[in-house]
Amino acid sequence: MSYHCPVCNKVSSSAMDLARHMIGRGDKVHRDWISSKGFKYSEFLTLQFKSFGGEGYKTLAKILEKETKVED
Amino acid sequence: MKKELRFTVNGQPYELYIKPKTILVEVLRAHLGLTGTKRGCDSSSCGACTVILNGMAVKSCSVLALQANGGEVLTVEGLAKGNELHPLQKAFLDHGAFQCGFCTSGMLMSSKALLDENPNPTKEQIKEGIDGNICRCTGYNSIIRALTGVVKGEYKEEK
Amino acid sequence: MSKYSVIGKRVHRVDGPEKVTGSAKYTFDIVLHNMLYGKILRSPYPHARIVNIDTSQAERLIGVKAVVTGKDTLGRKQSTWRRFPELCDEEILCRTKVRYIGDPVAAVAAIDEDTAEEALDLIEVEYELLPAVFDPMEAIKEEAPQIHEGVELNINVTRHIEWGDVDEAFKQCDYIREDHFKCSSQAHVCMETHCAVASFGYDSKLTIWTSTQSSYYIQALVADMLGLREGDVRVIKPHTGGGFGSKFELDSAQFCASLLSMKLCQPVKIVLSREEEFTATKRRTPMYYSVKLGAKKDGTMLAKEVRVITEGGAYTGMGATALYLTGFFSSFPYKYPNYRYDGYRAYTNTAPASAMRGFGAPQSTFVGESQIDMLAEDLGIDPIEIRRKNGMTPDYEVPGQAHIQSCGLHQCLDKIDEHIKERGELPPNRGIGVSAYGFMSGGIFNWFDTPYAFSAAIVRINIDGKVDLFTGACDIGQGSDTTLSMICAEELGVHLDDIRIHAADTGICPADLGAWGSRETLMNGNAVKMAAADAKRQLLEFAAAKLGANIVYDMDIKDQWVHMVDRPERGLSYFDIVKDTIRGRDGETIIGRGHYTPHRKGMISPAYSFGVQAAEVEVDTETGKYKLINVTTAHESGTVINPVGIEGQLEGAVMMAGGYGFCEDQPMDEGKILNPSIADYKLIRSLDMPETKILEVDTYEPEGPFGAKEAGEGLTNPTAGAIGNAVYKAVGVRINDLPITPEKVLKALKEKKQQAE
Ligand code: FES
Ligand code: FES
Ligand SMILES: [Zn+2]
Repeated sequence: MSYHCPVCNKVSSSAMDLARHMIGRGDKVHRDWISSKGFKYSEFLTLQFKSFGGEGYKTLAKILEKETKVED
Repeated sequence: MKKELRFTVNGQPYELYIKPKTILVEVLRAHLGLTGTKRGCDSSSCGACTVILNGMAVKSCSVLALQANGGEVLTVEGLAKGNELHPLQKAFLDHGAFQCGFCTSGMLMSSKALLDENPNPTKEQIKEGIDGNICRCTGYNSIIRALTGVVKGEYKEEK
Repeated sequence: MSKYSVIGKRVHRVDGPEKVTGSAKYTFDIVLHNMLYGKILRSPYPHARIVNIDTSQAERLIGVKAVVTGKDTLGRKQSTWRRFPELCDEEILCRTKVRYIGDPVAAVAAIDEDTAEEALDLIEVEYELLPAVFDPMEAIKEEAPQIHEGVELNINVTRHIEWGDVDEAFKQCDYIREDHFKCSSQAHVCMETHCAVASFGYDSKLTIWTSTQSSYYIQALVADMLGLREGDVRVIKPHTGGGFGSKFELDSAQFCASLLSMKLCQPVKIVLSREEEFTATKRRTPMYYSVKLGAKKDGTMLAKEVRVITEGGAYTGMGATALYLTGFFSSFPYKYPNYRYDGYRAYTNTAPASAMRGFGAPQSTFVGESQIDMLAEDLGIDPIEIRRKNGMTPDYEVPGQAHIQSCGLHQCLDKIDEHIKERGELPPNRGIGVSAYGFMSGGIFNWFDTPYAFSAAIVRINIDGKVDLFTGACDIGQGSDTTLSMICAEELGVHLDDIRIHAADTGICPADLGAWGSRETLMNGNAVKMAAADAKRQLLEFAAAKLGANIVYDMDIKDQWVHMVDRPERGLSYFDIVKDTIRGRDGETIIGRGHYTPHRKGMISPAYSFGVQAAEVEVDTETGKYKLINVTTAHESGTVINPVGIEGQLEGAVMMAGGYGFCEDQPMDEGKILNPSIADYKLIRSLDMPETKILEVDTYEPEGPFGAKEAGEGLTNPTAGAIGNAVYKAVGVRINDLPITPEKVLKALKEKKQQAE
């Protein structure tokens, strides 16, 4: 199973890794994709640095889990 | 109006005309081309510009050149005799008492003034003697060891 | 007896005689014929739009030759992050907006410095002030002003490192603690300020003499910024008065001098004032840490989670790497099975925060080593013991990140343990604090996108046996010219004074990334060793033929004697072989070439060094003032090439890292640095300097030249943490924000007393 970045096609082995990639890149195209899903990039970031536990990534990963999974 | 300045530097007499506000370090570096003396600050607080004027260590950035009129200045260039290094220079080499070397000229001149005045300083007196000189590289202890070596007579001056 | 004849010996530095006689020339000393002097006008505001710049009056001043502003540039933005265009964010001469107090807006060239200075006053800049933000915690709020277009929440970069299952592991811990720390900024305070002499001639070629840690980076960046070909830009590094991480990015002196010189076809010299050096060059990155640490009752650390927000200042600089490395080194030097790091770098309207000796690791080590002592106390375990229990060992894999080959951490712990025991019972208000650390030997990162090898060297043997060594390595005082000459002499089998080194001149030396991240000994050392071996091979081919040696014999050179390894008495003089080899091949010069780039060495570095430090302090409980009594360091850096050099690095690091823990700070008010002079910025001077003791531990690093690795920068990591722990041991107060000033200690002592009452 793999997860493909909807923006740049980078392949990750888990939705969590892909979430890290998307937030970590943080350029306009990746941010735009996040907004197109009705979320704000900045909200994910705020979630991340407000608490331990990586909540921002987890929230984004839930969306990516559904949308970007590719069975190989 | 330029003023006349007559003084000797490293034993060599000079006669120049300078603006009265010119500081000594400027005259040494820019007029005489003796660039061994450095500048590290503009607040007279680093010691990189230290030279010996009439036997006393002074910060040449805080002395007007005209204050040296009729006087004798010794800079780092005057320490060695030809290719025979001064004991302090030899000790600095042996003990690795410098890295980038930018503080070294000032450090050597402060050290020389200290030992001229007191040939047998204690470790604490050595520390006091170089406390006006900042070295960002060595952490001072190698410099203190070098001076200690000289004090102990490990580096004899060739006569 | 040592198997080496040059390395490991106490030698004089190759640049020593020049430096102790004042004859060593620095960029600061260079004067060229027809040379002009430049000065830079800088923004007095932390955040403002440039509406208009009127330079006409300045241009009319007698003695002024040229005035340039952002309009005279190609409008390009740069940084060393050439692979990541969005991180190339610094124009140097701002065109539309200034982002910190000190951002350059114009530069002047005139016949002397006074005239240039006067001209600056005549330049009229009309600014429209913008709201500014200084605190990274404020900068990441929705309502904060945006510093760079399109960068949301002013988040410049984020970094994430993770392995294991952190959430699950915390559930298994018997004990968890959460702590917050603040790591302050620090100024490099190189004794030679940033400076450059640029000379663009009618031949359309530019030569720059500059005080730099990487002549290659400066060559490439200047070429990019000015639209020149790299080959038309020659960068020469004369003797350099310190770097410490501040001099491997393109700076305003280099860029403005080059731009002015191109306009005038005359040499231009710019020397930053000490005040500019404090306010308008880069500085150590301040960091806010939140750390959660979980352990079993017996002290085994199971999980660590780290969140960091760094105050980035106005531009990226090398701050993105500091953010990554602080995250990686937060796991050092311990074996965390589960680890998570999230780092954020926020833009603020303050002087850009970037690389400084240790590169993020002094911060993470202060935090980590303070917290592990707190954990040890809570669990009732001895500080040395808890470090032994969790410390890294040779051949350890940091999951997904790094492979550690040599590692002498445990021997270092033993030595420090002995040292503490030797000190015995201490008088009241005295304490010894311990801190363990590790560091890298050169980074593997290629954000600069260089197509060249990371390091390279050329060895040329002259007819008289004298060897010219050409390398791009930059000696900024750390002593790489000496260390590399020693490596060359050892490999070639000649004496140190047979070597003449030519370094850091892009016109004649192969490219090298420069002196940062502790790269030169290992990376350039490997390149030099390979180049020397290549030259030696050419001599040995000849020697074998001449000696009529049986093919089964290996040949080598040692102490200028070319011989069969198994029958050392059968040989010839090195000098004769050199002559014969050159004659025998139609006069062709002997040239050896070497290069090094790490491959398949993980994400960070090909090798790591380790150490443990003990700091002893005595606190005056009336005033909070304390004295650094002694700093003892047990460390290992693989084979020691240059022992005098290592001692110097170690003692110098105690002054700098001790200063970081003890007194150095850059307080600001609305983005303005309040102590921009050596009179006001408190540094450790000789009277404050503690006794230093070094305890060597032997290791051998397979990846390094003759087994050597990093030996200078990592030593900056442990001291702040050791001081913090020592103050705690002495008087029972814990300071979580740097520097640990007497005021903070006194306040904590009062609070402690109140609580007790
Ligand atoms: S230049 Fe710093 S004291 Fe004179
Ligand atoms: S040797 Fe560099 S400042 Fe002293
Ligand atoms: Zn992507």
